Amino acid sequence: MMAHSLLEQGYQVTAINDNYEDCLKLAKIKKLNVVFGNGTRPYILEEAGAASCDIAIALTSMDEVNLVACQLCKKNFSVRKTVSLVGDPNKTDFFYKMGIDSVVCSVSTVTGIIQQQAFIDEMASIIPMEKGRIQIIEVQIHENSPAAGKRLWEIKLPKEGVVGCILRGDTTLIPKGDTHILAGDILIVITGNGNELNMIHALTGN
Amino acid sequence: MKFFDLKKRDYTIIIGCGRLGANLANTLSNEGMDVLIMDESKDSFHRLDSNYGGLAVVGNGMEFSKLKEAQIDRASAVIAVTNDDNKNIMVAEIAREVFHVNKVIVRLNDPECETVYQELGIETICPSVLSIKEIDKILDSFP
Repeated sequence: MMAHSLLEQGYQVTAINDNYEDCLKLAKIKKLNVVFGNGTRPYILEEAGAASCDIAIALTSMDEVNLVACQLCKKNFSVRKTVSLVGDPNKTDFFYKMGIDSVVCSVSTVTGIIQQQAFIDEMASIIPMEKGRIQIIEVQIHENSPAAGKRLWEIKLPKEGVVGCILRGDTTLIPKGDTHILAGDILIVITGNGNELNMIHALTGN
Repeated sequence: MKFFDLKKRDYTIIIGCGRLGANLANTLSNEGMDVLIMDESKDSFHRLDSNYGGLAVVGNGMEFSKLKEAQIDRASAVIAVTNDDNKNIMVAEIAREVFHVNKVIVRLNDPECETVYQELGIETICPSVLSIKEIDKILDSFP
């Protein structure tokens, strides 16, 4: 799946897998290079061209394999960016400490998404950017939200924030001051840190 | 005969109860050291001597909670000798970087990775490299 999405975005991708049958399946994907072998062995990584790659992503279900593969890429092949999946949420900080650039914990990520989905009516999803200095917020407008039915300039918004985009059904609008906001819209809002709650309050009344 | 101060006894944790791990545990325990050996499978403990005086714990040596249970903060040495190089490396890095254990020794079957981990202050032992050295020595000793 990961390989598919990266290939679609125009990256050159090589997959390493130590299961021969999985390799045969992978080999059917167009443009994907496949190397059969253990990704924690330096000579396999070399064969896969680790020395000339920009990003190494380790996605096995075994934490120790991901850690070692990323460390080898970093230290032996000077790969610029390493990304690792980690199964045990307690190990996220440890992986960062060991020099991995980006650590994704499947358990806590999925838990987070499920929580957001479960409370989507009340909650707006917030994405921190620039180490949390800026927040991108997804705000859902309901019938009884103060912003519903108003033009953008009629709403009193906190200073440090803009409505960057409106998602209405399948269409995407870049709003101007006289754009009407309707119930059912999802607004993508950019704010400085600390203003996100004021912003959500101004738009939804919550 | 060895004398030791009870308060300052060396406490060693061994991860992996294979042939090497079990023999090491037997030896250290016979020398009067405190030893704890951990393995994921209870069956591996049959390799320990019947008079082995240390502890044997079933568990995964890569789990923080298991290591804490084994009082890793009190350990003067951690030795990782499972049959999986990657596991050994991870155990060693956890012992070194998370629990700040002074002496960390790892058995690596593949000597290629050796250089990468030495810079972390982790001692690596590679059986095939040791064997080569020994065999070379024996060959040299023939006239």
